[in-house]
Amino acid sequence: MTQKILFIFCLLCIAISCGEDDNENQGYSPTPVSIVVPAIFSQLLPAPEIPINNPLTQEGVALGRALFYEKKLSADNTLACAGCHKPNQSFSDQRRYSIGIDGIAGFRNSMPIVNIAWNTNNKFNWDGSANSLEEQVLEPVINEIEMHNTWPNVEQTLQTDPRYVTAFSNAFGTSTISQELVAKALAQFIRTLVSGNTKFDNYLLGQATLTPQEEQGLAVFLDENRGDCFHCHGSPSNPLWTDNDFHNNGLDEDFTDLGLGDITGDPAQFGLFKSPSLRNLAYTAPYMHDGRFQTLDQVIDHYSEGLVFSPTIDPLMKTVAQGGVQLTPQDKAALKAFLLTLSDPSLASNPAYQNPN
Amino acid sequence: MFKKAAFLVLLVLSFMACDKNDDDQAQQNTPVSVGFLHSFYEDEVSVSSNTIQYTNGFGTSLSITRLRYLISQVSFTNQDGIKTLVKDYHLVDLSQDNSLTINDILLPPGAYNLKMRFGFTEATNTSSIYPDLNAASWNVPENLGGGYHYMQLEGRWLDPGDTPDEPYLYAYHTISAVQNPGPENTREDTSIEIDLGEITVTQGATQINVNMHIDQWFENPNLWNLSELNGLLMGNYTAQKMMQENGQNVFSLASNMGD
Ligand code: HEC
Ligand code: HEC
Repeated sequence: MTQKILFIFCLLCIAISCGEDDNENQGYSPTPVSIVVPAIFSQLLPAPEIPINNPLTQEGVALGRALFYEKKLSADNTLACAGCHKPNQSFSDQRRYSIGIDGIAGFRNSMPIVNIAWNTNNKFNWDGSANSLEEQVLEPVINEIEMHNTWPNVEQTLQTDPRYVTAFSNAFGTSTISQELVAKALAQFIRTLVSGNTKFDNYLLGQATLTPQEEQGLAVFLDENRGDCFHCHGSPSNPLWTDNDFHNNGLDEDFTDLGLGDITGDPAQFGLFKSPSLRNLAYTAPYMHDGRFQTLDQVIDHYSEGLVFSPTIDPLMKTVAQGGVQLTPQDKAALKAFLLTLSDPSLASNPAYQNPN
Repeated sequence: MFKKAAFLVLLVLSFMACDKNDDDQAQQNTPVSVGFLHSFYEDEVSVSSNTIQYTNGFGTSLSITRLRYLISQVSFTNQDGIKTLVKDYHLVDLSQDNSLTINDILLPPGAYNLKMRFGFTEATNTSSIYPDLNAASWNVPENLGGGYHYMQLEGRWLDPGDTPDEPYLYAYHTISAVQNPGPENTREDTSIEIDLGEITVTQGATQINVNMHIDQWFENPNLWNLSELNGLLMGNYTAQKMMQENGQNVFSLASNMGD
């Protein structure tokens, strides 16, 4: 009797754990994989967030990687995601505005795409216009100044390529290619793009030492009276180096781009943009949503003496009346040296991120 | 072999089922949620806004563009003096609806004393140990004592009759008060125990609301002059002590508010 009950119990458990996927009967079994979590992240951060309906699998990630480098996603087969998100630039673009397939430039600087799996706010793009990664990746394909394609066309193009038919079948158990599945595969690959091997990460692990100048720069960064950068850009306790939230950091008196406010319509949010991560600044120039600054020196000068007032300026930009915190040349140089310890030279050469096609 | 495995499964399952409470209690337990409401005198404050629409006790007009604060040690003590800790800590963010309620509390119906704490005690305010708070950039730098913020209240302000082109800014941040900011700093517990008094949990869903009277941060007992104390407050020991004093009367039960 008890044995029977136990047996039913076990069955139930199995049934519960399998509740989500009804693909078993289709006879395909992709191999689950997990994100390689850097040591310092597992010490300090929550586990990466993976949507229940899009678990990472070896086959899905491989497919996403192929799609990320696939020029056929664009209307004229000339531009892949990687064309504006380059591995050696922390998956961003050194051009101020990326150029789409029709030779037209956009109006924002491309964003780096690393450590996205830790963006638990789930707001993507400079203006927070996408509410999930799966939603975000659908957009560039049909954006008129980016890949200028249509989803029916992408689906059809991929469907005629036997390699993709097999790959989708292996990853998702169906050979019918849809925009949802393309988005899922891309999102899976993007979640594996992890950067956690900087000098500063290794310093936190006790495996590297900072120079006196870098240490001084860290002190400026963390000093309420000087940099006061930590309120928005993380700290040694938050190795994402961003709060993934939206702020107006005093760039303009009048806005040509309303940022978050354009999406929400709330005047209190006009001119707010997502705080970018300070990871990999060595590779992500130019800086800010419109790529207005070519160098880190210009960025630091902005915070030091270039702040301008606008009605939505963040209250943390408290020295705006004086134009900024007025850092000394020594503090500026130190801050820059520190910021550069947040760059990860191993990212670009990670074999798992290269073009497989 | 199979029997053994099955037994283990059963054991694990029964542990899981018993996690918080034993079986006969579980039958009587009823869901309780604790909501956080915010007011400025009579006005309900429900969203961050850029509009300078509140006037504090000092006579300064101000807006609230951001409000985040940390509540810890939420506990219900029943008539027999048995205390149930329902939440170690909880970050309230006015801009995140789902942070405005603590759900998933299960208690047997009855009368309780509800207590919580504003901020972390010294014993719990250890740097870097809460992953979700790290990801929310809620930390305090080591030179300022380390650990975590208690509150970030931010916005703009104007003096009465003053109409400058640019309203001034304030960042009313509370932390463990720190003396001697720098490598040799010493930290002092300025968290605040909030005794909300008696509440009753009835069969069915019980909603308890706690109201933060934001106006009190600026008023009682220290009338707050924002033109003198508007920023750089984290490293200001005296200001932190004053904030702690003002915080004593900030929270109260508000069971009827918002109905
Ligand atoms: C023509 C250049 C271009 C192409 C092609 C392009 N992107 Fe982007 N990407 C951008 C720009 C510019 C932004 C910032 C958009 C904004 O904020 O309005 C961006 C933002 C993003 C983001 C948001 C990152 C974050 O942290 O919020 C993701 C993810 C992304 N792109 C993925 C992709 C994928 C996947 C593809 C291919 C399907 C792709 N991009 C193709 C230029 C491009
Ligand atoms: C109030 C929040 C806030 C504070 C404080 C702050 N920043 Fe920023 N930072 C932002 C936002 C928001 C952006 C993006 C703004 C935009 O593009 O419109 C940004 C952009 C940057 C960028 C450009 C990164 C890129 O990839 O484009 C750098 C570098 C930077 N900040 C460094 C700093 C430093 C150094 C400090 C301290 C001196 C600092 N920030 C203080 C919010 C802040």
